[in-house]
Amino acid sequence: MMGSIAMAIAVGLLMGIVFGFALEKSRVFEPGMIVGQMQMRNFIMLKVFLTAVATGAVVLAALNGFGFVKLQPKAALYAADVVGGLLLGAGIALAGACPGTTLAQIGVGYRDAIFTLIGGLCGAVAFSYAQPWLAKTLIGSGPKLIFTDLIGIPYWQGAIGLAAILVVVLALMERARSWRKDLGANVDGDTPSASQFKGRMVPAE
Amino acid sequence: MPSLSDKAWSPYVAGVLIGLLQIPAFLIIQTALGASSSFVTVGDAVASLLDPSLLQIDYAAKHVDATAKNLWQVALVVGVGIGAFISMKMSGARRQPISPIWSRALGSSSSALRYAVAFVAGFLMLFGARIADGCTSGHGLSGMAQLSVGSTVAVAAMFAGGIVTAMLLLRRI
Repeated sequence: MMGSIAMAIAVGLLMGIVFGFALEKSRVFEPGMIVGQMQMRNFIMLKVFLTAVATGAVVLAALNGFGFVKLQPKAALYAADVVGGLLLGAGIALAGACPGTTLAQIGVGYRDAIFTLIGGLCGAVAFSYAQPWLAKTLIGSGPKLIFTDLIGIPYWQGAIGLAAILVVVLALMERARSWRKDLGANVDGDTPSASQFKGRMVPAE
Repeated sequence: MPSLSDKAWSPYVAGVLIGLLQIPAFLIIQTALGASSSFVTVGDAVASLLDPSLLQIDYAAKHVDATAKNLWQVALVVGVGIGAFISMKMSGARRQPISPIWSRALGSSSSALRYAVAFVAGFLMLFGARIADGCTSGHGLSGMAQLSVGSTVAVAAMFAGGIVTAMLLLRRI
């Protein structure tokens, strides 16, 4: 028992290091990237996100299709998904981070991310106190629904289909605007076009 | 070829790497990639020292319980911090204590204001993620890859909430 827990912690640490490395190298953990995405002027976050979803779909199509793993979808709880998703999104915009990238920001030395983390821990504790009441009023229960079950085809076919669509979407996005243009001089999403835009707002003397 | 000392990788290289993390998650831990329930595990463990009655709530007790999955996710998010630190050191990138975008987005260069906004933002983020039962990782990366109907609704709401907030409450960066 202890052995399996120690292994889970070691696996978690190693996976986290790879995850954090990829978040830092892609620059997606930068507040400039996340706020820029939510203001629809920087698309690196969406590119990393959709690429990871497509890769995950291909991986899971293989692992599940050949019977190595069971899927672990969350229950469809529409009211909770909408209300929780809206609050989560508002928090992401104001934090310039999501729960996972908050830790990456702390790792590179962003001091405000420490406050995001403390706020996040307080939010999680506040939810725990409210959970018995929220579970009855808002969250409820629901089925673990996946789209391919609704259509009646095997998961792996739907997953490969999703990945194919995402590859086309990403190719079109990249053709419309290269990811290099969204990096900015200090690779923090603080892009030259932002200051040019500001420059245009100032009347010429 | 991407090098470990690069300042930036293509979002496609990094995205593939993140997506491949589903392999050890599903094969070794029998779970999907996620991040936000670790905040409950750590937050409730600390809070239960001050208020032991918190653990009478099943939800809190279940998350504080020292199971492989709970501790795996805490280790994962700690690893994220370490991995980002190593990557930054290897590329030699230097960061200011607060991203320069915030003085423009908030219309103020006060660090106290930024810290206050960050605290409120973190609170909203986790309170929302726990209502929805997942965040950008659990619903976004893992839920969408699994074609989950609920996760797709949650991700749509997340982007809607993020876009409306960034457009209305923040100035253009």
